[in-house]
Amino acid sequence: MPEAAPTGLGSRRRSRRLFAAGLVLVGALGLVALAAPWLTAYDPDAIVVATYRGPLAPGGGHPLGTDTLGRDVWARLAYGARTSLFVGGLAMAVSLAIGMTVGLVAGYFGGAIDAALMWLVDLVLTMPSLLLLIVLATIFPPSILTIPLVIGAIGWTTFARTVRGEVLSLRERDYVQAARALGASDGRIILRHLLPGVTPGAVVLAALGMSGAIVVDAGLSYLGLGVPLPTPSWGRMVSDAQTYIAVAPWLVVVPGVAIALAVIGFNLTGYGLIDLIGERRT
Amino acid sequence: MRRSAWLVLLGVLAAACAVPLDPPPSGPPDGDEPPRRGGVLHEASGEDPRYLDPAKGYDTVSWGLEQMLFNTLVDYDAGTNIVPELAESWTLSPDGRHVSFTLRHDVVFSTGRPMTAADVKYSLERLLRPAIHSQGAEFFHGIEGAKDYIAGKTKEVRGIRAPALDRIEFDLTAVDPLFLHKLTMPFAAVVDREAAERFGDEDFTRHPVGSGAFVLEEWVYGQRLRLARNPRYFRAARPYLDAVEVTIGVSPQLAWLKYQRGEIDLAGIPSAEFQRVLADPRYRPLILSRTTLRTQYLGLDCEVAPFDRVPVRQAMNLAIDKRRLLELIDGQGVLATGILPPDMPGAAPVPGYPHDPPAARQRLAEAGLAAGFATTLWASRDEGSMRLAQSMQEDLRQIGVRLALKPVDFPALIEAVRHPGIVPLFLLGWEADFPDPSNFLTVLLHSRSRDTNNNTFYSNPEVDRILDEADPLLDPARRFALFHEAEVKIMQDAPWVPLFHPAGSAVRHPRVRDYELHPLRPSRVEGVWLAW
Repeated sequence: MPEAAPTGLGSRRRSRRLFAAGLVLVGALGLVALAAPWLTAYDPDAIVVATYRGPLAPGGGHPLGTDTLGRDVWARLAYGARTSLFVGGLAMAVSLAIGMTVGLVAGYFGGAIDAALMWLVDLVLTMPSLLLLIVLATIFPPSILTIPLVIGAIGWTTFARTVRGEVLSLRERDYVQAARALGASDGRIILRHLLPGVTPGAVVLAALGMSGAIVVDAGLSYLGLGVPLPTPSWGRMVSDAQTYIAVAPWLVVVPGVAIALAVIGFNLTGYGLIDLIGERRT
Repeated sequence: MRRSAWLVLLGVLAAACAVPLDPPPSGPPDGDEPPRRGGVLHEASGEDPRYLDPAKGYDTVSWGLEQMLFNTLVDYDAGTNIVPELAESWTLSPDGRHVSFTLRHDVVFSTGRPMTAADVKYSLERLLRPAIHSQGAEFFHGIEGAKDYIAGKTKEVRGIRAPALDRIEFDLTAVDPLFLHKLTMPFAAVVDREAAERFGDEDFTRHPVGSGAFVLEEWVYGQRLRLARNPRYFRAARPYLDAVEVTIGVSPQLAWLKYQRGEIDLAGIPSAEFQRVLADPRYRPLILSRTTLRTQYLGLDCEVAPFDRVPVRQAMNLAIDKRRLLELIDGQGVLATGILPPDMPGAAPVPGYPHDPPAARQRLAEAGLAAGFATTLWASRDEGSMRLAQSMQEDLRQIGVRLALKPVDFPALIEAVRHPGIVPLFLLGWEADFPDPSNFLTVLLHSRSRDTNNNTFYSNPEVDRILDEADPLLDPARRFALFHEAEVKIMQDAPWVPLFHPAGSAVRHPRVRDYELHPLRPSRVEGVWLAW
């Protein structure tokens, strides 16, 4: 299925507001992740109830209640933001690095190199990504480092394609032709003239991809293949509590809402950036 | 504080989505009316029985159905005492090596053919045949001539004799205090020789023929299984039920919903619902609960550093808060201080270890590990095991032991623990095959068992000697005293952290009467009746 090109958020005023909302969500997420130790009095892994008699409802000393082990849900949620951001961020960094390199090289050199690299992209795209993720996550012992590396190593294809497309048009521009006429090396042209041109688009994709990576991480954690226990992770929080949904719905709803807000935040930011870049260009 | 107010609001909104506990199926309460004949009992199972051939199927699903289709010479009463079943009576020779049974005269197979001693002999020889690949064969290797028969040297087992139609005799190579217990196992069930020969080793599981209270009427693989009353059953007026229907492929969650809707008569209680169910007066009279002969434990590989040192193993025992583990299983069980379940005949209190983290830290310091160490706990990846594992992870963090969790599938876990040096720590349970201390102590902790079930590779020559002395003893008092001595020594060496002895539990439809959980085997339904 061809990927639809990302489009912006519509009218200028509306798009600015939504962009701001996205930034607020992402900012809040970042703030919670950074300030987690000051936002909660509890260690996320510590069992804080004296006697476990099922999960405690929200209220009292535990604003979001306690979980199926008697741990503070708010503490796990706040520290879980760190996990999500770290995994999402590292996965995106890996995807960006691979994708931009492949895209720049393929687009600039063209010909056989382009054909070979795009064949590689197609090959990765044909593989069912969730299955591939499960296989990789089974082979490499899950850790806070291997999980984002695996997600990143699969998610770079969109970057490669988009960047390559951009480079195909940029390399025919006058300033690139001029640089070439002045005898600039391939490396210099790519790094000094093409890279700055493709970066804004890649950043937009990275913002959008961030939400994708957070969802993938949640999905892997949900399947029990995410970061190892007891590291708090939103996906794992949902899966661990799913049988309690009738009894203690906050255990499922709260991390579920957190995942949704993070995804919405990054998506709004990404689409807002598209509009912003569009405005600057026109 | 405003921030926290917002959080509470979010939490309370989420909590408002809670669904109240649905009532159980209702009906008139239990009275003292006499048992009623008729009706169909509906049950659910996650999977098909692996076999309905009693020589092969020893999983809970298979076993539960096999004991409806077949009988054994002797059986347990509601507890762990041996009572006659196909045998009317038996005698044991003074030297303990010859057992002789007199069979009931009124037993016929569901085909109408009377059961004789020849069928008993055939059934046990069939079990021993290598082609059957029965995991139960090893229990009967102690019968005189069994090994020659297995090796193909003889056409029959010398030590199983059928001198008359109603007499069966066994000669044993050595005294075996567990022999009668072994005869209660499904492996020793008596099959109809003619049917077994007609259908062959592979097909008998689809066409099981025995003398049991029920006969197999229909088995649609993956969907349902129906057992109907055996009109020729030897116990007068039993069973009460016309039939038992088992719906297959029903997850525990779905079974619970089906139970609440009255579609099935018995179900397990999901862990998530346990607290609410226990607190609900509508459910209370319907809950069945029974202590079982099980021990859940943390096994320590005694050959892997640092668990090759006793103080470290003792530190693990002192560090783990068992009370909280018991809370995590909703209090369904009792704390373990020793290895043997308290209901095990011969079990006596063992001092055990208190929950004492400072003492645990001190033991680690004695072993030169004051700074703690890192290790890995292997456990089954199911939600229940992971909760227990995380609780222990937290306990050990308090004494500086950094525990990584390795969640694996259950079959992989029981395979991995058999190989030395791979699994430093594991979370497993053991359920008694027989109500005898040897089934825990010798089977799991004798150095001879290191290739089978001694997965901690624990070895203490002194303990081995006591176990070897106790194993053949017929006199319960001396036997149990020696086993207790061994258990105390083992606990000092601490190859295990015994955690708790879980109880079995279930809920019944109010119309289901006289359904009882058993400490050793699946519940039997021939005495069960439906009030409407």
